[in-house]
Amino acid sequence: MAQFIQVLILGLALGGVIALMGSGLSLVFGVMRIVNLAHPSLIIAGAYVAYWAFKLWGIDPIVMLPVAALILAGIGVLLYRLMFEKEAKSARYSEMTVLLTFALAMMVEGLLGAFFTNTQRVTSPDYATDAFFLGDIFIPKGQLYAGIVSLVIIGALALFLKYSRMGYAIRATTQNRDAAELLGVNVNLVSVVAFAIGIGLAGAAGALVSFVFSFFPAKQWEWIAMLMSVVVLGGMGSILGTVVAAFSLSVIAAFVGTWVGATWSTMTFFLALFVILLIRPEGLFGEKPEMA
Amino acid sequence: MTALLEVTNITAGYGDGPAILDGAHLTVVPGKVHCIIGPNGAGKSTLLKAICGMLKIRKGDVVLKGERLNGLRPDQILRKGICFVPQERALFPKMTVRENLRMGGFILGNAKELDRSVDAILDRFPILRERANQHAGTMSGGQQQTLAMARTLIIRPDIVMLDEPSLGLAPKIVQEMFSIMKMMSEEGVTVLLVEQNALMGLKNSDIGVVLDLGRTLIEGPAADVLADPRIQELYLGGRKAA
Repeated sequence: MAQFIQVLILGLALGGVIALMGSGLSLVFGVMRIVNLAHPSLIIAGAYVAYWAFKLWGIDPIVMLPVAALILAGIGVLLYRLMFEKEAKSARYSEMTVLLTFALAMMVEGLLGAFFTNTQRVTSPDYATDAFFLGDIFIPKGQLYAGIVSLVIIGALALFLKYSRMGYAIRATTQNRDAAELLGVNVNLVSVVAFAIGIGLAGAAGALVSFVFSFFPAKQWEWIAMLMSVVVLGGMGSILGTVVAAFSLSVIAAFVGTWVGATWSTMTFFLALFVILLIRPEGLFGEKPEMA
Repeated sequence: MTALLEVTNITAGYGDGPAILDGAHLTVVPGKVHCIIGPNGAGKSTLLKAICGMLKIRKGDVVLKGERLNGLRPDQILRKGICFVPQERALFPKMTVRENLRMGGFILGNAKELDRSVDAILDRFPILRERANQHAGTMSGGQQQTLAMARTLIIRPDIVMLDEPSLGLAPKIVQEMFSIMKMMSEEGVTVLLVEQNALMGLKNSDIGVVLDLGRTLIEGPAADVLADPRIQELYLGGRKAA
């Protein structure tokens, strides 16, 4: 029983971070229908911001989180203006954005590799290797803190989307872009803001990831499959769905890792993506795809 | 009477495709219900989309209270006082009725004024108050259409344009939609309606407009349009309107 609770706690603690990693991807897809394959590479960019701030100046990665988020949000604005704005009215928008984000992922990986090499890195504040003990059960402080911070950020995002004027505009644009425009929403501005928030969330997730996982530029290929499975299970564009899916898959992966084998833990996400696409492509909270 | 909106010989179409509207004109009189009829492909919906800025006007002018609207975006035209409800009603299915109404007043900067307007609309439409916290996507077609029409009133527009509000609704519900339009016009809101059911549309309107092949064929008092032999023959199957 103790082992069951232990594994459950580890799964839940990682679920929060994975939810934050996926929420930006989900938001960007929801508003702009961009499947941002470069999202994990931008998370890794955020992780490097936190890593170097810690290594050079000893700044705690959680303290560095808002800075990483702002830097990445700024990069998001530039990327949107340069890469996606012109494509917004293209008849081949969906295909083009997949190709563009794939190219972007390769470019970001190449740039990060050129500057920082492919050496595995991990930020190591004291709490990253410490734990709380409750009898036989331990809770790693790093994962716990990262999970709590992730949930606070996702909660703040949910409140922003629910109650702010821009949040209304983002939700409306997600659900019916033409209708939002007819009611006076500047959908171009909403797209820029949502993209910046989405990429800013990647930066924030990167700061937390930097002390939870080891990372290097090519790690993105492992994470894109993990994040796609989370976003697809939740329902593309649904942030609530992303959170539920992240916790579910993280817990399942933790049990698989313990009882079946560590290699199979990552496979849980890949297998889930495959199965979901076969039996319920709209995911838990998404809309059914239209028939051709 | 001075025209509120004047559409003069406009040409418009989708993308780089052929012109759907080719010299259409329209004079919109304040406070009246106008019904645009015509066969499929006549350009009825295209005319509304061109007026509200969803389609680029290639030639001609759209003038509201003396101000030219050509080239403005839909959100800018809304701010000038023209509100458009397309065929698919343009609701946000995963937002509640109250949130949909709040979106109707998105251009109002003042949150308190918006809350007051939303409450006033909920008072006028009890069915919407009953369902204020229900997701719009879970309501019936008639309730959704009521919400779409009520939402236009939040900003007190000069003109409300409705594209086939009766589409897919039971006859009893359609009559309720026309009652709401009548109420709108009595309150000084001008209604511009596109309707497939020519007989019902003209009977419930003050002014009739007939479009064919992208051009305005007839424009005048709805009763006169209804009595026009060409309309009787072409759109009403030769039946005399009761």
